[in-house]
Amino acid sequence: MSMHTSLRRTAATITNSTTTILPRLPTQPTATTFICSQCRHATLLRRPKRPYTFTQLITLSDGSTFTHRTTSPAPIYRSTRDTRNSLLWNPSSSKLMNVEDDEAGRLAAFRARFGRGYDVNTPAEPVDPKDAAAVKEKEAAAKAQADAEQEEEDNLLDLISSFGQNEAPPPEKKPFKK
Amino acid sequence: MSSGSNGARRMVSLLRPSIVDPGVCRSCQETLGRRSYASAAPAATETTSTSASTTPVVKPAYTINAGVVLSRPPQITRDLEPFEKSYYFYQKRLNERLALPFTKYFYFKRGTPADEDWKKKILERRTAARDIGKYNAYDSEAWNDELLLGAKESEPEHQVEMLLQDAESTANATSQDTSKKEEIPRPFPRVTEADKKNDQKSLDRLLSRTLYLLVQSKEGHWKFPSSPVESGETLRLAAERTLAQSAGVNMNTWMVGYHPVGWHAYNPPRAKSDKQTEVEVAGSKIFFLKSRIMAGQADLSVNTQNLKDFKWLSKEELSKYLNTQYYSNIKNMLADR
Repeated sequence: MSMHTSLRRTAATITNSTTTILPRLPTQPTATTFICSQCRHATLLRRPKRPYTFTQLITLSDGSTFTHRTTSPAPIYRSTRDTRNSLLWNPSSSKLMNVEDDEAGRLAAFRARFGRGYDVNTPAEPVDPKDAAAVKEKEAAAKAQADAEQEEEDNLLDLISSFGQNEAPPPEKKPFKK
Repeated sequence: MSSGSNGARRMVSLLRPSIVDPGVCRSCQETLGRRSYASAAPAATETTSTSASTTPVVKPAYTINAGVVLSRPPQITRDLEPFEKSYYFYQKRLNERLALPFTKYFYFKRGTPADEDWKKKILERRTAARDIGKYNAYDSEAWNDELLLGAKESEPEHQVEMLLQDAESTANATSQDTSKKEEIPRPFPRVTEADKKNDQKSLDRLLSRTLYLLVQSKEGHWKFPSSPVESGETLRLAAERTLAQSAGVNMNTWMVGYHPVGWHAYNPPRAKSDKQTEVEVAGSKIFFLKSRIMAGQADLSVNTQNLKDFKWLSKEELSKYLNTQYYSNIKNMLADR
């Protein structure tokens, strides 16, 4: 309600003020826009300020094409990266999967030396029977290593327990070199 | 409106007692009655008479089936009508007259090979555009912008070919090596090999249309993949299971929603009774859920739904394979194109 009354009051004041404005003197400058309401001569119709556009053929990275209008005078545009070869838009595409091919064997050499700790993705679980055999082999190796570590620990315990009782036994060679 | 029409309604309801259900409002009852009048009214009366004699309380129930409308969306835009082609062509030549002239020196430096090549081509085709034929919007013949009968300038294929030829000639004229000819690969045709061979199992057919997966049962009738909903299963889960069991898992599909887009009721001529529960089964109702195929192909070799064949068909082709009643129930949920 209060909104209503205030609005009405302002409207009333505006109408009051407009009635008090004096008519313009003829010496004052008129409006700048020229509107020809009376003249009858032919006028020049100017071209609209629209740039010239060509038809261009767009070729996407997978070979699909379409045409569009553009100001560029090149007849063909070939895109190298777009939604057709982006993994984000093609999650099921095997072509775009990050499959590394190690032709020179440098990757294998790196892994033999430093292990797989630097891999971005964890190595996938092998499925093939050949890989299954590899897994068994790896498990056996891990077991052997665990055994070796256990033996080493026993040796150390022996060393601690036998310290000071008699002369220390000659240091044994480690059975498994890491 | 009047008591007369009310009386007539009452008469109709007395004549067709199968349709009247106290839980359904009168207008719905009328529409239901009208719908089944043409096809299934005799069957319905028969079922009610038999059920009234044996078990008057229990009505014959329908088995609920979940169906999948698996579709491949259009891959390319549709072909233009002749009128549309000529309209777009007219607009292009009109635009020549209305737009500002091409500012060559903004794009081509004076004296460069590209500039020389551009000048030569402008002399040849008399306009900056490559796809509107020989037409100059600035000379005294500019009014003469209509094509003659049989002219191929308005064909989109011809316009694309002109663009490609222009790109090739520019590459050949501006390159240092004159011995080698530049060849720009043409776009793939809109009509594929599968179209020519009419290979209805291929997903490359009819690229501008939506294709729907249709499967054939061992008995020989065609349908969308469908199977009964099991207990404790939602309609969508049932649809996903149906798809996996019928067309295999070697497809990347996407179920569009959780609600059915259409339904079809199958009323056999005689109501059968279930062997285990002794409950009469009036027929089956199939509720269709929409799904899209993104990649892969249907594979019926491991299906458990007694299917022997599949086809990818457009809407018009569906009507040739489906039963008339079935098609009339599903046709409005399919895309026109």
